[in-house]
Amino acid sequence: MLSSLSALSPRQLLAQALNFALVLSTAFMLWKGLSVATNSPSPIVVVLSGSMEPAFQRGDLLFLWNRGMDTQIGEIVVYNVKGKDIPIVHRVLRRYGGGDKPLQLLTKGDNNMADDTELYARGQDYLNRAEDIIGSVVGYVPFVGYVTILLSEHPWLKTVLLGMMGVMVVLQRE
Amino acid sequence: MSSPKIAKYSLSELKNTTDDVLPTYLNSLKFTQSHLLTDVRLALGYTAVTIAGILFYADWKLGWDATKAATFWAVIAYFTINSVLTVWIWLVEKGKVYTGELNGTLLSIASSVTKHTPIYNITVKTNKDGAETETLKLSAPFTRWFDQDGCFVAKPFQQWLASEVSLIGQADPKNKVSGIENGHGGVSVAEAVVIQQTDKPVRAGEREASTPGARSRKGKK
Repeated sequence: MLSSLSALSPRQLLAQALNFALVLSTAFMLWKGLSVATNSPSPIVVVLSGSMEPAFQRGDLLFLWNRGMDTQIGEIVVYNVKGKDIPIVHRVLRRYGGGDKPLQLLTKGDNNMADDTELYARGQDYLNRAEDIIGSVVGYVPFVGYVTILLSEHPWLKTVLLGMMGVMVVLQRE
Repeated sequence: MSSPKIAKYSLSELKNTTDDVLPTYLNSLKFTQSHLLTDVRLALGYTAVTIAGILFYADWKLGWDATKAATFWAVIAYFTINSVLTVWIWLVEKGKVYTGELNGTLLSIASSVTKHTPIYNITVKTNKDGAETETLKLSAPFTRWFDQDGCFVAKPFQQWLASEVSLIGQADPKNKVSGIENGHGGVSVAEAVVIQQTDKPVRAGEREASTPGARSRKGKK
């Protein structure tokens, strides 16, 4: 396999590398295109907890839309608390302000006993619609995101997966 | 001209190997190869990839809010360049595997195969000093220049091109064979190789010594 690569001219090598690079870059740019269209830094997210059951289960794939800035009570939003990296999917319970004043929201998980004040940053009692919310849920596919949960919660699975790919590459040689 | 063994049942390997041999042969006949088509494709492709790479780095370093406006333009630019690249590959390159020039005559060869059909089709276009372009469509089975082991045999391939394309024939009169489509020349050479291998064990033994691939396959039986 390596010897067949060395037989290629520089242009052929560049062309071969280009095909590979185009696959990766197109996937990335499609994701960014979706981000631009939905105005959300992360237009597709996976549900990680059961706090929104029975509406959403762990592993559900959610599609977000972040262009309706006048979020209403009852909408399910995904937000990122400053200083915490994990996005949270919860339902809007109350809203303050709006119009001229910045819109502020209080959220709660359907399956949680209390509202989310505890989850917000220290000293924060509500979410800022413009800054904290990364989108409202507009659609979902059940279960398909479970693979990513498994991979992130059991890192050894990644090793197994990589190992299997490696074995395949070796076996497929010639 | 010995060449490595390929998987002879893989149509793409047959085609790719043959495509790769074309420039080597024609350049050896003092054709001057033009890389314009490939270079434009590479330039377009790598421009697009660079845009994506810069955006990836900026996004990673600065985050979404700072790069939002730039992301919009990067996405537009990326997909515009990608569309141009697609048009270039489909409408301009059109499967051309060689463009070159000999004594003021331009030559371009585009190759194609039909799925599951082991026949090499080429479209040869020649154009002398802006005169009308001559187009020639040729087809030949891959068995003509691949032997039983899947090794490329240069002679019948060169004979086929030199006999069918007058420009190549002028440049390589030694390989010009008359009546090549009637079973003379290339095909009979390839068949002769096959007969040697199957009917005469002694000769087959000689062949094994020269091609290590054939020996290793025997060993597995």
